[in-house]
Amino acid sequence: MRKSAIATILFLGLAALGFAQAPKVVTGRLVLNANAAHAGSTAKAAVVAEISPGYHINDHVPSLDYLIPTELKLEPAAPLTVGTTKYPKGSPQKFSFLDTPISVYQGKLVVGAEIQVASGARPGTYTLKGSLDYQACNDRACLPPTSLPLTLSVKVVPRSEAVKPANTDVFHGLKFN
Amino acid sequence: MKRRLEILSGAVVAIVLVAGLYWLGIHSMAPAHRARAATLAHPMAPGFTLTDINGAKLSLSDYKGKVVLLDFWASWCGPCRIEIPWFVQMQEKYRDQGFAVLGVAMQDTVDSVGSFYQQFHLNYPVAMGNAQLAALYGGIYGLPTSFVIGRDGRIYAQHSGTTGAMIFQKEIEQLLADKSQDEDADFTPAGEPEEIEVGTPGEANPDVPGVDISKLSPADLAEYKKQLDGAKCTCGGCKFTLLQCRRDDTTCPVSRKAARDMLKQMQDAKTKAQAGTGAGR
Repeated sequence: MRKSAIATILFLGLAALGFAQAPKVVTGRLVLNANAAHAGSTAKAAVVAEISPGYHINDHVPSLDYLIPTELKLEPAAPLTVGTTKYPKGSPQKFSFLDTPISVYQGKLVVGAEIQVASGARPGTYTLKGSLDYQACNDRACLPPTSLPLTLSVKVVPRSEAVKPANTDVFHGLKFN
Repeated sequence: MKRRLEILSGAVVAIVLVAGLYWLGIHSMAPAHRARAATLAHPMAPGFTLTDINGAKLSLSDYKGKVVLLDFWASWCGPCRIEIPWFVQMQEKYRDQGFAVLGVAMQDTVDSVGSFYQQFHLNYPVAMGNAQLAALYGGIYGLPTSFVIGRDGRIYAQHSGTTGAMIFQKEIEQLLADKSQDEDADFTPAGEPEEIEVGTPGEANPDVPGVDISKLSPADLAEYKKQLDGAKCTCGGCKFTLLQCRRDDTTCPVSRKAARDMLKQMQDAKTKAQAGTGAGR
């Protein structure tokens, strides 16, 4: 009896351990291309994400209509609004569960977004919130759709104050047109 | 000399008797005991009732006595989609032998699932899953996840991720051929309707499955579990405590009712005691 009870508890415990903690497949942060921004300017932001080895997430424009796209969602928060979002093109990969390659993101992913600062913005620090929505799979299984929460602090400074470039390695080569 | 012979023959008889009783003890174990041994490796599949995408009731208890392949999947999941045609074939091949596939779509839309159902000519019921059901099965996060359930309602295999068709076939054929599962097929007491296990989210918990303990304080929960562990379970002659019984067979309506009644009694007594304390002020 006791053995049975222990076995049941173990089963429940192992099941909980095995499934309740779905692995965090994507980690990342939102960064700005400068240490601050001026009122009336357009700054560039980017999500720098890392996808765990062995996993992939779908292209923003998925190869198949049933696949869930990767999407960057940023909530406008006055005096900040969100402009163009720039997704990279995924790389075609072949998986055992499909006959044809599909376009996916693997490894490092950078998604850009233009942040417009209202012309009347007063100096201060403003926070932009959002998420990178994705659905990850490996070669044998898929994880449920989920979101990576993102936050970006944008410091608005007077025009008299110079703005310095930041995170140049991230923004180098990232084109928004 | 004669006396020595008597002692020796007495000893031989005693040894033979002991050995015989031991042998009988092993080989004439009541089915219930063997069934208990089976629980060590094969827990009961939690019962549930859902509505399938065609509007019909889908209840696991309706498949009692059958070998069931319970497949958690999603239409957006590539590895899941590769398995579906196999399941369609298996349903066709083994249906008449007492086999059934049940599909549960997770984090999906009825439209997407319905469209997939038509496109791939599914020949088995598919329902939309929910968090409570996922919790009952240990939490379903990776898809596909499938459970192979024997005629006795116990889980004999669990697969996470795409699994070869041959593996499923082998397991299904073994379970269909194995008659020993029938010995435990009366896991629901005769005359007792099997109730639906999936209820409120509070009822889906590993501590006391089937009882909503979400509003209990840690101290009250500990006290409640202590009381359950001190009470005998009356499920079909099992010798478990009520707490062990609840965890061992989450579909058992007898232990569920007893556990719920016990919680109500405990809460009523507490309310009464508090009211008495208040009246004295």
